[in-house]
Amino acid sequence: MGVIMVDVKSRIPIYEQIIASVKQSVLDGIFSTDESLPSVRSLARELAINPNTIQKAYAELERQGIVYSVPGRGCFISSDTEKIEKQHRSQLESNLKALMREAIRAGIDVEEIKAIAIKIKEETLNDPN
Amino acid sequence: MIQIENISKSYGDIKSLSDINSRIENASIYGLIGSNGSGKSTLLRIMSGIMRPDSGKILYDNQNVYENPQVKDTVVYLSDEQFFLPNSSVDEMAGLYASLYKNFSKERYSQLLNLFGLDGSRKLSTFSKGMKKQASILLGISCCPKYLLCDETFDGLDPVMRQFVKKILAEEVVERGLTTVIASHNLRELEDICDHIGLLHKGGILFESEIDSLKQEIHALHVVLDEDKSIRDIFTGYHIVSESKRGSLTTAIIRGDKDSIEEVMKNSSPKFYEIIPLTLEEIFISEMEERGYDYSNVLF
Repeated sequence: MGVIMVDVKSRIPIYEQIIASVKQSVLDGIFSTDESLPSVRSLARELAINPNTIQKAYAELERQGIVYSVPGRGCFISSDTEKIEKQHRSQLESNLKALMREAIRAGIDVEEIKAIAIKIKEETLNDPN
Repeated sequence: MIQIENISKSYGDIKSLSDINSRIENASIYGLIGSNGSGKSTLLRIMSGIMRPDSGKILYDNQNVYENPQVKDTVVYLSDEQFFLPNSSVDEMAGLYASLYKNFSKERYSQLLNLFGLDGSRKLSTFSKGMKKQASILLGISCCPKYLLCDETFDGLDPVMRQFVKKILAEEVVERGLTTVIASHNLRELEDICDHIGLLHKGGILFESEIDSLKQEIHALHVVLDEDKSIRDIFTGYHIVSESKRGSLTTAIIRGDKDSIEEVMKNSSPKFYEIIPLTLEEIFISEMEERGYDYSNVLF
């Protein structure tokens, strides 16, 4: 617990922050398949936010197939975490494309970009963290 | 559920409320926003069953509240001016509340007294303004009501106390399904607590909605477009609330969810774009302007 975080001062609706936070936790391996999400009750108390908002966020996560609910027992991470990974991947790809477009416009050569990518890959292989 | 049906109220020549209708679902936290004199306090007093409306009725789970002790037993109203018996201590006030409310819980009372860090035997007249407010909140919650009506109760609490009261409210909602109505003239006081919000203006509800869906349906877009393109060409079929240009940067407020706006942007690949959620205040400004009201005359 304590991995679902919200910033009440942010412009991003609390509801969306909860959804994003759960997805990120799955990607980071903090939540694994069949693990339970904090109950609405405990999260509402911990974060001092409206339980109805949490309920709604959990319902949306269920609709997206990221969690499943067991009546009386709460919400659990579904086995289909691939879905989140896919979403994340396409998000990364589109961010990368935007960045590339900007780099090429700014006059950075494609070969240079390749060199940077290769260098980063080597560094990551040597030190995964 | 609270049903507000055709409520009107005048004080002599002064019309305070005219034909108000609304529904508040159980376990919801409903924010009632309005400027001074918009009728918030009058509406809350009528909702508490102590003031008779000129016409219309307030129903709690289909039962009229006016002069109905059974219903009133489930409703606690926290006035903006707390009333305490002269020379009384918190404990003595608790005794009064316990004699009035069947569900008053001594256990919850001493627990809350402890959490708030207040001395129950101390005279309320020696309390600071903020402490009096805390005392009235804790007395109200100790009555274990089904419905809690708060008139500017959260305004002016310090940040720590505010967070604390929010926690207690959240707990009451999950544990007992408490329904809360909070009136305030300050949108920021309501934004992070409420799930529904209604705007009262000159005795009528101008506008009412669920906060989350409100925020998902409208976004601001900052974009740098190619010279020959315009926002209206790109966003055909979308409702563009407003649009302004500064240098090459266009700022537009568009009705639509984030994903679909993002999709449109990706397809037209502008040099730069950014989609920003609006604050509740910004949403209210655009909603009001669309309804032909000048926002500055409505709030703050």
